Amino acid sequence: MTRLTGGLIDRSKPLHFTFNGQGYTGYAGDTLASALLANGVQLMGRSFKYHRPRGVFSAGSEEPNALITLRDGARSEPNTRATVAELYDGLTARSQNHIGPLDRDLLAINDRLAPFFAAGFYYKTFMWPRAFWEKLYEPAIRKAAGLGELSMLPDPDAYDKGFLHSDVLVIGAGAAGLTAALTAGRAGAKVILADEDYQLGGRLLAESDLLDDAPASDWVSQTVAELDSLPNVRIMPRTTIFGTYDHGIFGAVEKVADHLPVPGDKVRQTLWRITAKTSVLAAGAIERHIPFADNDRPGIMLSGAVRAYANRWATTPTATASDPIAIFTNGDDGHRTALDLIAKGAPILGVIDTREDAPKFGDYQVFAGSTVTGSKGRLGLTSIQITRNGQGSWHDVGALAVAGGWNPNVHLSSHHRGRPVWDESLMAFVPSPNGPKSMLPAGAAAGQVGTQSAMQDGMRAALAALSEIGINGAEITLPKAENAPSTQEAFWHVPTKKRAWVDFQNDVTVKDIALSHKENMRSVEHLKRWTTLGMATDQGKTSNISALAVMAELSGATIPETGTTIFRPPYTGVSLSVLGGGDTGQHFRPTRLTPTHHWAQAQGAEFVEVGAWMRAQYFPQSGETHWRESVDREVLAVRSAVGLCDVTTLGKIDVQGADAGEFLNRIYANMMGTLKVGMVRYGLMLREDGHLYDDGTCARLAEDHYVVTTTTANAGAVYRNMEFARQCLWPELDVQVISTTDAWAQIAVAGPKSRELLSRIADDFDLSNEAFPFMACADLTICNGLRARLFRISFSGELAYEIAVPARYGHALMERLMERGADLWVTPYGTEALAVLRIEKGHAAGAELNGQTTAAMLGLGKMVSAKKDSIGAVMSRREGLAQETRRLVGLKPVDGTRQVPAGSHLFTKGAEQSLSTDQGWVTSSCFSPHVGGYIALGYLVDGDTRQGEIITAANPLEGQEFDVEVVSAHFIDPEGGRLRD
Amino acid sequence: MTDLTPITSLGSQSAQQVSYGALTIAEEPDHGIASLTLRKGQDAPTIFEMALPEVGKVAQTGRNLAFWSAPNQWMIMGEGQGTTDYAAMIKAEAPAATVTEQTDGFATFSIKGEESKLKQMMSKLVNLPPAAFAVGCAARTGLEHMTVFLVRANETGLLVLVPRSFAGSLWHALETAARRLA
Repeated sequence: MTRLTGGLIDRSKPLHFTFNGQGYTGYAGDTLASALLANGVQLMGRSFKYHRPRGVFSAGSEEPNALITLRDGARSEPNTRATVAELYDGLTARSQNHIGPLDRDLLAINDRLAPFFAAGFYYKTFMWPRAFWEKLYEPAIRKAAGLGELSMLPDPDAYDKGFLHSDVLVIGAGAAGLTAALTAGRAGAKVILADEDYQLGGRLLAESDLLDDAPASDWVSQTVAELDSLPNVRIMPRTTIFGTYDHGIFGAVEKVADHLPVPGDKVRQTLWRITAKTSVLAAGAIERHIPFADNDRPGIMLSGAVRAYANRWATTPTATASDPIAIFTNGDDGHRTALDLIAKGAPILGVIDTREDAPKFGDYQVFAGSTVTGSKGRLGLTSIQITRNGQGSWHDVGALAVAGGWNPNVHLSSHHRGRPVWDESLMAFVPSPNGPKSMLPAGAAAGQVGTQSAMQDGMRAALAALSEIGINGAEITLPKAENAPSTQEAFWHVPTKKRAWVDFQNDVTVKDIALSHKENMRSVEHLKRWTTLGMATDQGKTSNISALAVMAELSGATIPETGTTIFRPPYTGVSLSVLGGGDTGQHFRPTRLTPTHHWAQAQGAEFVEVGAWMRAQYFPQSGETHWRESVDREVLAVRSAVGLCDVTTLGKIDVQGADAGEFLNRIYANMMGTLKVGMVRYGLMLREDGHLYDDGTCARLAEDHYVVTTTTANAGAVYRNMEFARQCLWPELDVQVISTTDAWAQIAVAGPKSRELLSRIADDFDLSNEAFPFMACADLTICNGLRARLFRISFSGELAYEIAVPARYGHALMERLMERGADLWVTPYGTEALAVLRIEKGHAAGAELNGQTTAAMLGLGKMVSAKKDSIGAVMSRREGLAQETRRLVGLKPVDGTRQVPAGSHLFTKGAEQSLSTDQGWVTSSCFSPHVGGYIALGYLVDGDTRQGEIITAANPLEGQEFDVEVVSAHFIDPEGGRLRD
Repeated sequence: MTDLTPITSLGSQSAQQVSYGALTIAEEPDHGIASLTLRKGQDAPTIFEMALPEVGKVAQTGRNLAFWSAPNQWMIMGEGQGTTDYAAMIKAEAPAATVTEQTDGFATFSIKGEESKLKQMMSKLVNLPPAAFAVGCAARTGLEHMTVFLVRANETGLLVLVPRSFAGSLWHALETAARRLA
């Protein structure tokens, strides 16, 4: 055990957990990393490429090494950083990326083969034979070099999303963030304070500095308590702001239940979209290291992390408590670690300071003007080589803290292409002044050094934010804090012929960067792709700046001239589950149910998705073993008796106003203004470019009142276009439009017995052909006084009606029609039969109106009225469209037992089959019970003059060819007697 | 009186209601709804002596309420009018305006309960600040890819209106959000 005294762990709450099957104990407040360290476990994983032993390197979300697989079974989560995994009782974790036990990884052979795995080796090595890449090379590489593995089981947990709005979003709850939140909160602004940690306080928890002569955690507790008491402040721990988006929008993930063994009734994580008028970026800074030979052994760690483990989690990173710790630094900051360790009673070797004039702040040995030039220890650090003026000496140590300076967390300020700016005095990049609008960097994230500076800066940023949105704020009283100056020298790496790791996660060394440079990868972006530096889960948070420095040194350029790669969200990894928003399976997207849905379900209907709608596809009856049997029966019932089909899904748009007729004249290609009250007309709408857009019927209920129907697919789009036309194109017209699609249940009653059936439910309404002819419409009442609308229109080609009632009565109406029509062989039919009926009749549907077709192709060219202008009319007459000669035809396979697939292309029989000889295509195809064989519709060049010709329909994808006869598109009742009588 | 029996938007003969902790969500099938749009140049009429509200607002008189839904357009709702010809009643009140029956154009659900819980629940559903659905306010917004109206006429609860065919999906969304807060 390497537990120290003190710390912010709760020793009254021991927690048991396992790592690679071995049981350990930690305390509430521990992370998995701190608990393992306290148990003397240094080795936590294997490196990506060379399978080198690795231990924990940091104390935060920037961790490149200690990636573990958390939990088991379906909840197994690979690549979790042990440094941010909050310990809970029963936690199970295992290491990853090794074959055999962690301490005897068979793939450690890769380390011996390192000379073959230099930068860019994938690109150079696995070139040939090409076919081997996908099947052999890539799987082998992925197995050998990689991170954790997915369970391949469905995620059992729930996720959700949410939306928050604030005046000030404070990102990070350290010294600057807490001060900013308190300043803004006391001013009454709506504040959100978010921090990725489960304990607020940031570095205040990791340092030993006092605030008002008391431990900083006291001030943190008081401040959090006050913020918690303010109704205008929302505190969000365990919440990572991962991206800055347009218009003050931030993406955030709240880990709601990641710290619990199982989420229970809770969601596991919530994806928040936060809209903030202003934001304070108080995300702190991340320490960088100093690459030296063999610097990647377990036990070598960032200096600030060593302080964090000692002060917050009361542990050291050594295997045993008596192992001394050394500190390697290029500035004053490393000395703080020495002082804190001494204060905690941990043994230290001393501070190796690169500066000749290295200061000394306490009773410890200082190796001035020295560097660390090597390390030993197979599975954990045992000794380091300290070199001064070329003279090296080996020293036994259990851990080494490395302090190379701090990099402000500029990420979120760089998501809008705000390029960070180099600050020479800090030797770091600071946020761009041209970052996201209304984002104010503060504290360490803005390059402020020292607790007092950070707090003052947090207050300053909050006041600036408040002033930007017109809220009066006041300065708050800040606690007394240290603000000792901290100096450092530019010392970026210790030159060596051995490997000195820069990016631990991707096993990228100084040598790799040099090789990359030699191979002419001069842009930092090229360096990144060639070496993989800065990729994967940590995105190079601890390595990028060191790499830039090495690169700058090689090229002779400065670091700012070398530049950074582009920063992009997410700041830390975001699970796909939470990005998905939580809805899976049936509820992945909303569905629309027709008014007769529950009735159809009770009848055993099969349903089909039509956009968001669920429509009855067919109604199988007992004894029917194939869908075709059901569909053929339904079709024959309509042709010979009467069928019922819910057609509510067709769009219904109520158009009213003194200029409604004129408006519709402009919307439709054909004339609608002349339609008589009480009548319906078929209408065509064109796109602006002259192609067919939508078709449907238009009923005139009163002089100033029309009801337009659209296809199911275009209901929303046509309504939107009408609103656009009304508001923007012709605001002078007195016309009002509103959708009523859902208001009315509409049922098609089709077939020779339809009139008889309707007469049994209509209240005193004359349905005779004379009183209510084809294309008539009327308001009426049915079933003892229920208001209804009746339209005599036909999609099937039969005598047919559509009857509409308020949607809540649709279910009962369907039942009533079934009951009253029992003796008439009334039959419900679904979308399959609907399609067969309309193909037999030669009526166009979505397959014919596919966006490439014109009115003339449907044989309806004359419907585009020349007496008026309408949307698309002029463009429909342009040369390219006017010369189009393909026409809708019926197609009958010579062998009627074979179905010609829709999409087949048409050719003159015997002709060569190529694009230049293509004569059209098959749009729709079905078995026709009426014809007794398969039929089809299609567009054919000069189709209107080729009836009787045998042509070829070819489906080259399947190697199919059919002889088909060109016939009328009206397979049934071409004269239209059935629907008119 | 018709002898056909209506069903609710969720497909049964009685309205559904469910409580999770401090929140109760319920189907409200008994509202008559009509849209009222001004004809060109027409002044806004009063409906049942109720002045039509401004953008984003709701007005209420007795059992009728009106909320702004688009430029020169309002939705009028009447409690207890679910099976009457409510549009005809509104047309009689404003003969010069365009009135369209919408009673079954929308399914109406109410969410009642503790205010803080209600706000929490809505934060999981709509991208609006709570002020947008404070008492006296109405909003049209997206909720789980559906278009809804949020209508807050009084303290007692929030009405959510969705095109009727989406009722099942909206109910699922509301129920899930309420359950997770319980």
